[in-house]
Amino acid sequence: MSHRNIYKPIRAKLTEVIDESPLIKTFVLIPAEEFSFKTGQFIELSVDGIGEAPFTPSSSPVITDKLEVTVMKTGYVTEYMHSLKPGAYMGIRGPYGRGYPVEKFFGKEVLILGGGCGLAPIRSLLYALEHIKDKLEKVILCYGSKTPSDCIYKPLFNRLNNIEKFEAYRTVDKADEEWNESVGVATTLLDKVKVNIENSVAVVCGPPIMMKFGTIRIIEMGYKDEQIYLSMEKNMSCGLGKCGHCMLGEFFVCKDGPVFTYNELKDTPDIWK
Amino acid sequence: MKTSADDLKKIRFFETYTDKQLDKIVSISSIKEYKVKEILFEQYDELSDLAVLLEGTLSLGISLAAEKRIHLGTIEEGQLFSWSAVFKPHISTAWIMAITPARVITINAKKLNDEFAKDCDFGFKTMSKIALTISQRLSDTRFQLMNQLTL
Repeated sequence: MSHRNIYKPIRAKLTEVIDESPLIKTFVLIPAEEFSFKTGQFIELSVDGIGEAPFTPSSSPVITDKLEVTVMKTGYVTEYMHSLKPGAYMGIRGPYGRGYPVEKFFGKEVLILGGGCGLAPIRSLLYALEHIKDKLEKVILCYGSKTPSDCIYKPLFNRLNNIEKFEAYRTVDKADEEWNESVGVATTLLDKVKVNIENSVAVVCGPPIMMKFGTIRIIEMGYKDEQIYLSMEKNMSCGLGKCGHCMLGEFFVCKDGPVFTYNELKDTPDIWK
Repeated sequence: MKTSADDLKKIRFFETYTDKQLDKIVSISSIKEYKVKEILFEQYDELSDLAVLLEGTLSLGISLAAEKRIHLGTIEEGQLFSWSAVFKPHISTAWIMAITPARVITINAKKLNDEFAKDCDFGFKTMSKIALTISQRLSDTRFQLMNQLTL
């Protein structure tokens, strides 16, 4: 039996802060002790005296001595986090919840649809899939952001397109003069991908509106409900299923999710709210 | 410039047609090539040809004024556009511009409609593809609208 206090964070030193977009930064952390997680699981990231918030790591689950967390500035805690400089200390609790069942992806094509800051958990998944690429048929990433400056992890796309079995596409709602890729909402990218739907799974992660329209389009493509994995990031809360804020129908997202199949959630009211 | 049924089979849009139907499409179509920034047609132009992009990327948009083009989306290889040519009043709802060198198959819409009357399966398949295109554009527009409303 473990005697570790589930509420006590592990201390982690902030070694680098990467500006991803005007509202999004990635924090590179070195935990005081080895920290492992399964891709899609989440952590509670805290700042002493300020508070904590749940985030899914954006780094590779294979690396246990370094953790990267991508944070969008949306409120009091995240605004304070954005003011932190390398050398500061943060706290980590977790990992929590159920991540992506990557073993079920073996032998299949993986279609990933992401939007906005939803690329953070997806990047971790991509690293995990790259690690097991010999066991996969193909990995296709379709990512949408509002503008080119809102597009995060800019070097990731070139890198993915140079990895065997990987394809990456991105689009923006509104282009600028320099943008020479697709324009339109994220779902428009699904028209250009070639997938063997019968031998495929789809992963959707992003803002609720994108998840709703993305899931509808993926179903229209012919995917079955149980082939679609949704990461219900916005419902994550205390991490333990104790506070009740994560309840989604019969599920506690902190314990039963955040990754669900659409089949599990389709009868739950207001899942996109 | 002409194409062949075998060439069309490589394009996803034409996958479900029979060889006979593909031959019919070839007989009433031609291939056109466009340079970067060339306008294929303007919003409110009267259209006579249904089109499918074979190579390259096109930009689709609307205009608020003659010099104010709003870029709404891109058309990628294998996608259909210029569907207004098939339906009255045959007036384009958007402008289309090439943003890379592009090759387009243009199908005479009047002759296409005549073929639909002779071959209902051909008509049903084509109308289903047009309906799907319009449905997806509408869905994407709703998505864009909701994005704006929830900013």
